[in-house]
Amino acid sequence: MISRRSLTRTNAVVAAVVVLLLVLPAFGSDFFVRFIMTQTLILGLMAATIVFLTAYGGMISLAQLLLAGVAGFMFGNAALSEGARGLNLGLSPWVAVVFALAVTTVVAFLLGALASRTTGIYFLMLTLVYGVIGYTVFAQVVTISGPSGITSIVAPEPFTEPVNLYYAALVLSVLAYIAFRAIGRTNFGLAMQGVRDDPIRMSSLGFNVALHRTLAFTLGGLVAGVAGLLNVWWRKQIDPASINIGPTLAILIIAVIGGISYFEGAWLGALVYVLLNTYTKSIPLIDQIGLTPDRFNTVIGLMVLLIMVLSPEGLAGILERLSRGRGLGKPTQHSVEPPTTSTSPVRTGPGGLQ
Amino acid sequence: MAPDATAAGGIDGGDTSSVVQLSSVTMAFGGLLALGGVDLDVAQGQRLAILGPNGAGKTTLFNVVAGDLVPTQGSVVIKGVDCTRLPSRHRPRLGVARTYQKARSFPGLTVADNLYLALVGRRGRHMSLLWPGRVGRDLRDRARAAASAVWLEDRIGMRVSDLSHGQKRQLEIGMALATDPDVLLLDEPASGLSRGERERLTELLEQLPAHTTLLLIEHDMDVAFQVGRRVVVMADGLVVASGSPEEVQANSLVHEIYLGSEAHT
Amino acid sequence: MRSRSRKSRWVLPATAVSVIALVAAGCGGSDDESSDSSGGSGGGGGDGAPGATEESGVKLGVLGECEGPFGGFHEDTVAGVALALSNLAGAKVESKTSALDGWTGATVNGTPIELVGIGCGDDTADTISEEIRQLVEQEGANIVIGPLSGDEGIAVAEYAKANPELTVLSGIAGSQEPTLQVQAPNFFRFHGDGAIWNAGMGDILHNEEGWDTVAVIADDYSFGHTSAAGFIADFCGVGGDVTTRVFPPLGTTDYSSYIQQLPNPDEVDGYFWAVGGTGTQAALEAFVNAKGDLTGDQHAGNLFFNPDLAQALGTDIAGAYVGGFAVLPGDVQTPEIQQYLASADKTWNTLASGITGGEPGPPSAAAGFGFMYGYYSAGVALVEALEETGGDPSPDALQPALAELELDLPYGPISLDENRSGIVDVGLSQLVEKDGEIVQEAVAIIPEVDQTFGGTFSTDTPPPSRDFPPCEEADLPWVGNAIPVVDGKPQE
Ligand SMILES: Nc1ncnc2c1ncn2[C@@H]1O[C@H](COP(=O)(O)OP(=O)(O)OP(=O)(O)O)[C@@H](O)[C@H]1O
Ligand SMILES: [Mg+2]
Repeated sequence: MISRRSLTRTNAVVAAVVVLLLVLPAFGSDFFVRFIMTQTLILGLMAATIVFLTAYGGMISLAQLLLAGVAGFMFGNAALSEGARGLNLGLSPWVAVVFALAVTTVVAFLLGALASRTTGIYFLMLTLVYGVIGYTVFAQVVTISGPSGITSIVAPEPFTEPVNLYYAALVLSVLAYIAFRAIGRTNFGLAMQGVRDDPIRMSSLGFNVALHRTLAFTLGGLVAGVAGLLNVWWRKQIDPASINIGPTLAILIIAVIGGISYFEGAWLGALVYVLLNTYTKSIPLIDQIGLTPDRFNTVIGLMVLLIMVLSPEGLAGILERLSRGRGLGKPTQHSVEPPTTSTSPVRTGPGGLQ
Repeated sequence: MAPDATAAGGIDGGDTSSVVQLSSVTMAFGGLLALGGVDLDVAQGQRLAILGPNGAGKTTLFNVVAGDLVPTQGSVVIKGVDCTRLPSRHRPRLGVARTYQKARSFPGLTVADNLYLALVGRRGRHMSLLWPGRVGRDLRDRARAAASAVWLEDRIGMRVSDLSHGQKRQLEIGMALATDPDVLLLDEPASGLSRGERERLTELLEQLPAHTTLLLIEHDMDVAFQVGRRVVVMADGLVVASGSPEEVQANSLVHEIYLGSEAHT
Repeated sequence: MRSRSRKSRWVLPATAVSVIALVAAGCGGSDDESSDSSGGSGGGGGDGAPGATEESGVKLGVLGECEGPFGGFHEDTVAGVALALSNLAGAKVESKTSALDGWTGATVNGTPIELVGIGCGDDTADTISEEIRQLVEQEGANIVIGPLSGDEGIAVAEYAKANPELTVLSGIAGSQEPTLQVQAPNFFRFHGDGAIWNAGMGDILHNEEGWDTVAVIADDYSFGHTSAAGFIADFCGVGGDVTTRVFPPLGTTDYSSYIQQLPNPDEVDGYFWAVGGTGTQAALEAFVNAKGDLTGDQHAGNLFFNPDLAQALGTDIAGAYVGGFAVLPGDVQTPEIQQYLASADKTWNTLASGITGGEPGPPSAAAGFGFMYGYYSAGVALVEALEETGGDPSPDALQPALAELELDLPYGPISLDENRSGIVDVGLSQLVEKDGEIVQEAVAIIPEVDQTFGGTFSTDTPPPSRDFPPCEEADLPWVGNAIPVVDGKPQE
């Protein structure tokens, strides 16, 4: 089945980009590789979990950064042996990784179970509440964090070396991308899409809808946790502000500007976000039009607006339409290929937000 | 084909071959009594047509049998298992399959995937994160066969949202038939179909295997009386008449409340 | 048809690839200043070492604060640095109304000091880390001045520690840890911390005002903890007792339940407040509602306790003691201070400072407030250290010079302890009533306060928290050395 999929255009683009990213450290500047692209890959991986839950499950989650944060905090608590704050368990780094991901998975399962009976805007609001509560918990419970968070976090070898961390983010991103797309063809993934389109129908077909939602959320949380580990290895610290509402929304914005139903879009959106975040304020003459640095969030806001107006399907949607417009995509034929394996990736059905 | 002889005896219940057994089922939506104490006994292999005017409570009856609704009072027993409070997801294991009056398939998925999901729901591993193996391929084959059975074999790769209304109804029936159910609940399957499609549907229903118990809600008299070996007429949440198609057609009360006023067939 | 789609099939990948390649090239390698460093380094080269080389002079990055709770003080941060360079290194500011446009012509011993970038903090560690990485790894800064707030300070000190080629001078980050715990050898702080700024108050309240017991209420986050810790260490150090500690979360609007946890006015001698932002007034109002009037002889606070409170709370608050914040209260006017403030007014016509609510106002108003002064002190330190090294900005030369500096700054001398944190003079003041108005007047200068408080805080102690430090007597070096201030004149 893999060989049948491999010749589509999307795959060709993705493969070319991955090859480029693999050789990037040879010619890109250190800053571009270690700062821009590492950050892009990590944020993209986080945003991809939103795409996963939204595109397959119709669940727009604002709790993904929280789950990434749980992993980060837990790693910090477990791996450090002497620090100003936290449990300082002093576990070996890889045991700490397992510990962090295990806690994240359990938390994701519990939060997912609690949210499994809500859909649409209620699910969104509930996950937002999770985010707010999570922030408060880490800000208040001094044994695991406290206001200033966990600092001096060191990545396990060999990821202390920034280039290796970049490759870790790249490899994990590629694996997650492939896995997320492949899951769409498994029983689990098809059932997620069924639950997205019509949970009542799924139930009468014999599926445990609540459990399915819970496990999907757990899986998304686990991957978010992986991204969260990369994130603390990259940032070397985490504090409650790291999972506050601002960055939480940023992850959703990334998924939306990339195209919330395209897995590629998550990383594309992350790249655009990081580039804007990094360079908007250094565009010459930007202050001449009233955009001082403190207002560059406005630029991001305007970009989101512009992209949404041009294409509700985000940048990936624009790219897809551009390539269609050039006569690339003959109108989709009635192929035996299901949509996820043809040129158009997963999309939310009309039931996506019911 | 179907053992017609049990028809009369089934109404008063009690015999062990009954597959679906409703005892004084009431269903209240706030002040509205959609079902006012329905007793119904359906024997195995029975072909039961349920008639009644709009709002009679037919769909509500299905929802209670299928587990989408928990009745306010009364009990639902399927194959000897008390299902009154059992959620709908446990029905497929008992061999129950249903369609909805308004087609409820998965618009974001293909015809093949819809049928495949119906099969996985009853027989597959719901949570498998592996790509379908031998069992999965087997189910895929069966999904393809189910598509052919409802004349959708050349639409199998199409997204359901791109299907016509009639095709969606065909798929709905296909999803119910695919699992080879023991108890099949069809809610107005012929509505929205063309004359030719209705004839094909009737044919299809007449060819159901003998072990399949069919409960059919149908406004189309041609379909209902041709497929049904026993007919139940509902009005205002109650069963008001029951018997063979001939008996029911002859019943004057039925004529008055339903058949006589029937204009929209 | 077929051949066309065959060919154009590769348009998209090719476009994507070339776009990324272009961006990659444009965003880094071809940058002229940093190209020399990225020349052969390729993948290795340690943890993102700073790009610029020694010969090219000082490439200065300033970590400002343009968003978040202190976002209004962005202008102040850069202005502090620019004023120092203007006063001492011949810099000409580019604009008479904004410091953010930078300067030209700053040199020390022939070494140019070039502003390569201004970071934009938002009071979070994550953002400031990104900003300093950008300043250093992208813009090639070899010296950074900043940041402004406490948690940012920890993150920046950590970054400094991992990048020994870099030299960082703190802006006005008031947490203990950057120097006491992180101990980056290249992180220098020519100002005090949140605890230091309340030093000496315990001495006055216990020994002069006769307070034996006190209840402390402070914001439940690092600055609140640190600020309270300074008071507690001081008050307990001289023999007082803290009977209650209450920590309402930051951003609380209804303080009544926290006020309930405080003892009644007849159960303690006084209260110490370290509640900031909009919470200051809300908390005091809740106190009035629950426990009766505020009286100046029973209340004291950190720098948040300002005269504006009286507008809402009445003049009974007169008499309350207030902690310091880098500078001395406005009524203290020595020739050095006057000269410093005048130089600000000479350098700019107006500045949109946080102290004037972001509107253009007199530059001296900004210069007389702690935020700008902290950055000014760092700028002075940089210039004087460069004079010591003969203009050599390399870490090996500059960092030892910085560590040895003894600055004579307008608001008092500053030298560094062995952790490179400032030993400073703290100006305490009192709210007093003048013609029916509440104003703030200096009452004492506590000389040479260092961050250890006679050993209460050390590299082995945890950072200040809800229950640290405990209430214990200690030997505070400054007890009895307070210099009284009368009518704005320090009495030697
Ligand atoms: N979920 C519900 N909530 C409230 N009232 C309901 C609900 N479902 C059905 N009803 C009401 O119950 C009554 C019976 O409805 P039902 O759908 O069972 O009728 P029906 O016999 O299937 O009619 P039709 O031939 O129009 O499909 C109607 O008055 C309907 O409005
Ligand atoms: Mg109905």
